[in-house]
Amino acid sequence: MRKLIVSVGVIAVLLVLVFIPGKKWAREHVNYKTAVNDHSLNCLNCHLYNSKSPLISKMVNRDYLSPMNIAVSEDGKKLFVTAQDADKLFVIDAAERKILGKIDVGRKPHSVILDNTGSNAYVTNQWSDNVSVIDLAEMKVVDTLSTGNGPAGLSFSSDGKVLYVVNSYSSDLTVIDLASGIEITRLNTGNNPTGIQLSPNGKDLYVTARRAVITPYGEPVTTDLTLVDDQSRRLKSFLPVESAYLMENIAFTPSGDLALVTLIRPKNLLPTLQVEKGWMMNHGFGVIEQKGDGRIIQLLTDEPQAFYPDPFDIVITGDGKRAFISSSGVNMITVIDIDSVRNLIAESTPEMLSLWANHLGISSRYVVKRIPTGANPKGLALSPDGKYLYVAEHLNDMIGVISTETMERTGEIELGSSSRVTVLRRGRQLLNNAGRTFQTQYSCYTCHPDEHEDGLMYNMASKDMGRNITNTQSLREIGDTPPFKWSGKNQTVYKQDGMRFSTVLTRTEQFPYNDLDAISSYIMRGNHYPPNLQFNPDGVLTEAQERGKIIFERTRDNNGNEIPENNRCITCHPAPYYTNLKFADVNTLTASDDSILFDTPHLNNIFSSPPYLHDGRAKTLEEIWTLYGKTDKHGMVNDMTKGQLNDLVEYLKSLRSPDYESGNSKIQKASFNKE
Amino acid sequence: MSRFNKHYFNILFFSVSVILLTACGGNSLEGKLIISEAPPSGVQADYITGEGWRCLPESRLAAIDPQNPSAAPEILTKDFYSAAMPDLSYDGERILFAARKEKDDPWQIWEMNLRNLKSRQVTKTNENCIDPAYMPGDRLVFSRSVLNDSLKAGYSLFTSNIDGSDVKRITFNPHTYFASTLIKDGRVLTISRQVYPSVTEAVVMVLRPDGTKAELFFDTGNKNTLISSCHECDNGKIYFIGRQSDTGKGTIMSVDYNRPLNSMKSVSGTDKDFLSVAKLSDNSIAVSCRTDNGGRYELFGFDTNTGVTGSKIYGSADYDVTDIVYVAPYIRPRKLPSEVDMGVKTGLILCQNINVTGMTSPEAGFSLPLADRIEIMGVDSSLGMVKVENDGSVYLKVAADIPFRIRTLDAKGSVVNGPGGWYYLRPNERRGCIGCHEDREMVPANRYAVAVSKNPVAVPVHYEGIKEKEVELE
Repeated sequence: MRKLIVSVGVIAVLLVLVFIPGKKWAREHVNYKTAVNDHSLNCLNCHLYNSKSPLISKMVNRDYLSPMNIAVSEDGKKLFVTAQDADKLFVIDAAERKILGKIDVGRKPHSVILDNTGSNAYVTNQWSDNVSVIDLAEMKVVDTLSTGNGPAGLSFSSDGKVLYVVNSYSSDLTVIDLASGIEITRLNTGNNPTGIQLSPNGKDLYVTARRAVITPYGEPVTTDLTLVDDQSRRLKSFLPVESAYLMENIAFTPSGDLALVTLIRPKNLLPTLQVEKGWMMNHGFGVIEQKGDGRIIQLLTDEPQAFYPDPFDIVITGDGKRAFISSSGVNMITVIDIDSVRNLIAESTPEMLSLWANHLGISSRYVVKRIPTGANPKGLALSPDGKYLYVAEHLNDMIGVISTETMERTGEIELGSSSRVTVLRRGRQLLNNAGRTFQTQYSCYTCHPDEHEDGLMYNMASKDMGRNITNTQSLREIGDTPPFKWSGKNQTVYKQDGMRFSTVLTRTEQFPYNDLDAISSYIMRGNHYPPNLQFNPDGVLTEAQERGKIIFERTRDNNGNEIPENNRCITCHPAPYYTNLKFADVNTLTASDDSILFDTPHLNNIFSSPPYLHDGRAKTLEEIWTLYGKTDKHGMVNDMTKGQLNDLVEYLKSLRSPDYESGNSKIQKASFNKE
Repeated sequence: MSRFNKHYFNILFFSVSVILLTACGGNSLEGKLIISEAPPSGVQADYITGEGWRCLPESRLAAIDPQNPSAAPEILTKDFYSAAMPDLSYDGERILFAARKEKDDPWQIWEMNLRNLKSRQVTKTNENCIDPAYMPGDRLVFSRSVLNDSLKAGYSLFTSNIDGSDVKRITFNPHTYFASTLIKDGRVLTISRQVYPSVTEAVVMVLRPDGTKAELFFDTGNKNTLISSCHECDNGKIYFIGRQSDTGKGTIMSVDYNRPLNSMKSVSGTDKDFLSVAKLSDNSIAVSCRTDNGGRYELFGFDTNTGVTGSKIYGSADYDVTDIVYVAPYIRPRKLPSEVDMGVKTGLILCQNINVTGMTSPEAGFSLPLADRIEIMGVDSSLGMVKVENDGSVYLKVAADIPFRIRTLDAKGSVVNGPGGWYYLRPNERRGCIGCHEDREMVPANRYAVAVSKNPVAVPVHYEGIKEKEVELE
């Protein structure tokens, strides 16, 4: 008995001796990671949900569907829904609100359309670079059509003989002859296009674009709509839309007098002084007149004290009276009275129209309703009789059903995913929602669409105005690339999204710690690079890329001299993240920068992140050295021939997700196989 | 039951009783209405000093049970000469109020526990402190008399911890502020009136709890005088009482939070004279009103959907109901972060284009002469002239917490526009304006301002050698 008591006592003393310093150590560890001293000491919050172990990841996560876009059959009886995270097309009985079938398609299905006979559906597979052709009677894929990189929106030609597919990553338009299934031509588009719509008269196609034309900071932001002639299958013109970007989708009125395109009007050329009075982001739509010289008028859907960010899809009722816009950042459908828009335009002088583009009060003239939806509404579709609006509630895994008469959400169609919201799912919902920004003016998505970056430079004026311009950085797979920000000031994502984030950026109450943990986990582990199918589809480098790799890893210059170790590409940019996670001076500071070192950026999928350098001054990878690398401080380059530089750039474009380097490359495979 | 078991049963019974009693902690006032009521004083309302309006002699707080209107009110402030202006904590367990313990005491802020009705003093100054409102983070905002200070203000807004410590002034212009409330987005709504160089109509200002980003929220024009605090309801409306200049009667009015400058509506008819308003439930508010001029202001419900006044809840032959609070927990507003850094002695302001003005319109054409420079005007003297950039932009670094106004001048020195209203910048505050007297619903164009390509101009312009804290780069 005495032995037992002594043993228990010893164990208790040992436990106390371990517990007290252990807890103290844990407290210091959490304080360092979060940069606050009151974050809860819950080891699981980070070490479980941020685990890279496939087993643990499988245990704590769930598979979701993430419906993206919808098509409705001509008789209105069936809905076809692309489920982005399930790689499936869902077929739904609209009346019974039941799932009739799920058809395997390629990776990340984006959009779906039905041919005019209703016998075939065409689905773009954004991560497979192809289109699945589905026989709807058989409910199976019967053909696969190759496209450019990142196929998204799609449309038939007016004669039904040609399929147009918007290639969102390669910024072009694939034109496929449906009889042969072969791409007959490819047309240039604006930067990062997504939506496409054929005009009711069957003459023109409009292609939207999300990223702006790359220009030096200070010059106006302009994003190009692309106008294509359907008859000749040729590019007609680019239509610059000033002060706007992230134009996701476009719709015509049935009469064809107007086309309406969703857009965001960023304020990146202004210092980030305040959120009040719309100083950061505004959201609305463009009206493209189909008469005269095709004026493009921009109107906001925001209000003076309330904002409706991230407009995604737009549909117009058959009578041409109403437009519905999915305001995806606030879980709302914004309803527009189109006649009021027409009247406003008719009564306004050009000066007044230019004023309205920057006026928060004018929306009261044409916004007639805001309809709440489930999380993150994306694609929209109207029933043929116009009675119902179907909403792809992207992060709710449901199709919301809205009565266009009462303008209320009257029901939903469950797609059958897990009802449990995991930590990563919660984080993704938070990232795509503006609820934690003052007056919901913008979400993380607004500047980081698809967890990437928006291609703009900002003047984050926490210090001085007009100084320290920074290029937006991607959020994809950054979990293992600390520190964060160009200045490397934040040692963890937790600090990045914590108190200072709310003080200088969102300007409202910071995330509660459980939400901070969730969004941090999602940013660190929940989002992935798309496969680099454009420049490295299968891991086999081209000859030029192989030559470029040798240059990237070289230790001697063309003259045989040893390159100092700290001036070799590979030293600062080693695989798998192509960053050594250290600070560096590559002689890119300007007079308007504070004298700091920069965090060495990672280079995975670097081809998709122009412009380059901390202030975005290099429009292309080439310009990093041809214009801004003359001192050989950013790697030894000036001995290289033009051909060698080209090879180096080709190699850089081939860099892919770090998963390749770790052998976990399954997400990179174009998984679709023709059945 | 054995004696032993009985003994343990008694201990158990006693313990459970103690736990239950402790948990209850006294009577809750949840579901009741707390009013302040005052005998008619005959004192003309003074909207600068608050006398006869906010500060009424021999007022008192009382609890009313709306389910039992015939019951006598429970007087909560018997120990005070005068008590008024109650504000409820988010958990519905406490109220802040302003009171004078003795007749000659200044008005001070007190807090009462609604379970035991015990009060403690929060502010301890020789100046009047009135109109308290809870803020997130265990702080409060209140109006404190600063008459005769160098800024020529009347009542300024202050914040402090709920125990009265860490008092901070947050407004620094020659205005007087009353009847503050918090709105859901975390900002302070307050009735503000310029008192220097001339007294102007009261308007509702909105500002962050640290005093930054103060701006007009709405005004009631010349036909109505604001006489009550503003209360935000769940239907997106903000209700208040405006006294009509023609009839002299108080009317229930509302603005939409989303568009306050252009959504003001009269909610009630003109048959009654309203004095105060408070949120009751989703679609109803509590109001005090009277039907004839000589009568007392009594307590009623009011349906905001139908605009119909409900049945009387409470009335007294000797007292007017002056303020109302419905006791129930409610969602606390957002706790806004603060950009104020007291180590920094200045704030920064960018005007994007001083020539943009709402005094011209697109219909009328932009016809004012272009400004060549601006004059920054202090309370007693000019703080300097600053050249306007070619694109109309101006970038200033202004000594913090001093009031200033701006007027624009042409190349000959003639006034083009202004001066506008009073501004002040808190230490380390950054803010922007689009133009001068611009349309307040406008957003700035996405255009680089030439002025920020240079260092800001220090204001006062002779104010050199500011020992400034180095702000860290984000």
